[in-house]
Amino acid sequence: MKKTILLPTDFSIESLTVLKTVLSESATEEKFDIILLHGVHLTDSITDLLFYSKKKIINQFVSEEFNEACSVIQNKYASKINSIRKDIFTGFTQSAFNNYAEATRIDEAYLPEQHQWHFDKRKSFDLVPFIKKSKLSVQQIGWNSNHNIPEKGKVAEIFFNGVPSHS
Amino acid sequence: MKTQTKITLLFLIPFLIVLSLFSGFVYYSFLNYSHNDFFRLLELRAITAGKIELDDNTTTNSKEIKELRDQFFERLPQEKDYFFPLDKAESYHDESKLLGLPFSFFESVIKNGKADFRKNNTFYKGIIYYSKKGRYIVVASAENYYELHHSAYLKRTLFFSILAAFIISAVTSFYFSKYIFKPLQKITERVNQISSENLHLRLDETNKNDELNELAMTFNTMLDRIETSFETQNNFISNASHELRTPLTAIIGEADVILSKDRSHEDYKEAIQIMLVEAEKLEGKTRALLFLAQTGFNGKTQKFEKIRIDQVLMDVKETLERINQKNKIHLDMSLLPENYDMIKVNGNEQLLHLAFSNIISNGCKYSDNQTVNVALGASNNSVFIVIKDLGIGIPESELKFIYDPFFRASNTKNYEGYGIGLPLTRNIIRMHRGEIDVKSIQNQGTTVQINIPMYKI
Repeated sequence: MKKTILLPTDFSIESLTVLKTVLSESATEEKFDIILLHGVHLTDSITDLLFYSKKKIINQFVSEEFNEACSVIQNKYASKINSIRKDIFTGFTQSAFNNYAEATRIDEAYLPEQHQWHFDKRKSFDLVPFIKKSKLSVQQIGWNSNHNIPEKGKVAEIFFNGVPSHS
Repeated sequence: MKTQTKITLLFLIPFLIVLSLFSGFVYYSFLNYSHNDFFRLLELRAITAGKIELDDNTTTNSKEIKELRDQFFERLPQEKDYFFPLDKAESYHDESKLLGLPFSFFESVIKNGKADFRKNNTFYKGIIYYSKKGRYIVVASAENYYELHHSAYLKRTLFFSILAAFIISAVTSFYFSKYIFKPLQKITERVNQISSENLHLRLDETNKNDELNELAMTFNTMLDRIETSFETQNNFISNASHELRTPLTAIIGEADVILSKDRSHEDYKEAIQIMLVEAEKLEGKTRALLFLAQTGFNGKTQKFEKIRIDQVLMDVKETLERINQKNKIHLDMSLLPENYDMIKVNGNEQLLHLAFSNIISNGCKYSDNQTVNVALGASNNSVFIVIKDLGIGIPESELKFIYDPFFRASNTKNYEGYGIGLPLTRNIIRMHRGEIDVKSIQNQGTTVQINIPMYKI
């Protein structure tokens, strides 16, 4: 069965825990198209908008470590993952979000239970209220959040973060 | 040739070429214009002469024209007019010989009604004049006064202006190149001053964001690296001799004490036991040193082959648990990629075994035998090995020294060790073109992240 799922992210390694959990708990025959979505305030400058490039904006946020961690997960669940896409949402209104969800055919959304977003409030905004108000089926994922670990922000973080391992 | 002169020449030569092309063009177009103008002047003269000489009416008209000519037409040097009646039978051979003009000149006059000819500085203009007495060929000739004087003047002016421009641009380009190369010279002088005695010297950096500043910055970072490696080298030698001397002193001291008088059998036994322990320590240290020295080379002697990292890790776990029963190692394979080709690397199994067991046994040692987690995963290009312990950690201020041989963190007093494991591991990981990254929080634990490039077919 193919599913498109939406995960809000702040492009921190810790936020990938949601993805890791969803995948580890899913049934074996399921296949996912994954959208990692980040809410971004678009610039007001007309010259910046003239040279607007979604890829460039995403690259501003995404670190090398995040990409590596993504590919670690992708390799682990290679048979379950159809695609992982990083995207930005730039709308202001609930209906804009509903349109986005409809256009990208999102089936489900997964939210972190108590994760504090780490982003610059001037550039990004929280997508959780939009997701909660929309008609998408929403699931909360929780884990033992631990901010004070040595490997914070490194690829290593994805390996140990409270999700029970199956070995 | 010095670059400075080269730059001067590079600057000068195109400038000179452009300048000479420009003045050449000016000179020749001026000359051309002056010739055409002079031929037009001669034509006018020829018509006037024809009117005066050939139109045989002795009316005032002709006189007036003559007067006018004498009054207003400046006499040209060597001005001469010739008149030849145009006759069909005539072939103008004699005339052409007389005037020293080519025969084609006359032919062209007959054919086109007018012709130009120029011999040295004398210009000839021939026209057909229709007079009342019939058709005549009128040839007016004169020396081109304008060319003689104006063009010589022009030549002189152009030559001197080129010369002046050349000198000015030579001087400017010389100073210009000197200005450009001044900082480079400074850098050279400064770098020449730096030797092994004063490695702390640095080049001056400006705030300007230009290439030369970048060069200076590159030099400075290189000097930083050289200085640290020099210091490490110095520390290494003193540390190594100190480390080697400690067991030796113990052995010598022990032997001295025991030999000072006769002792009982048990005393000798005990003393030799102590000496043996110290000698074993010494042996361990020299072996570790030897390994460090070997791996420090470019590793050409080691054989590299395709190996699976998970197998190496399992071997390490087995070995370490056999050595010390209390070691608890948990291999976390939850993020193992589905495709097993992705955890294969090009490496030497013994070396990698050594590297991982160093890190993992450190984890066991400094966490007082709490569980050490070892996880394995693969991104698209590299294999990640993460080793996490909940031990005493490394103080943040000492993290940068952990790769110095014989360095031991300040909180490791209660633990045995030589301080060779981590530098050795780093050497091995580097031989595999991998990276090692140690993160730690004191009293909370240490996480070591190693990534090694994946084996590519």
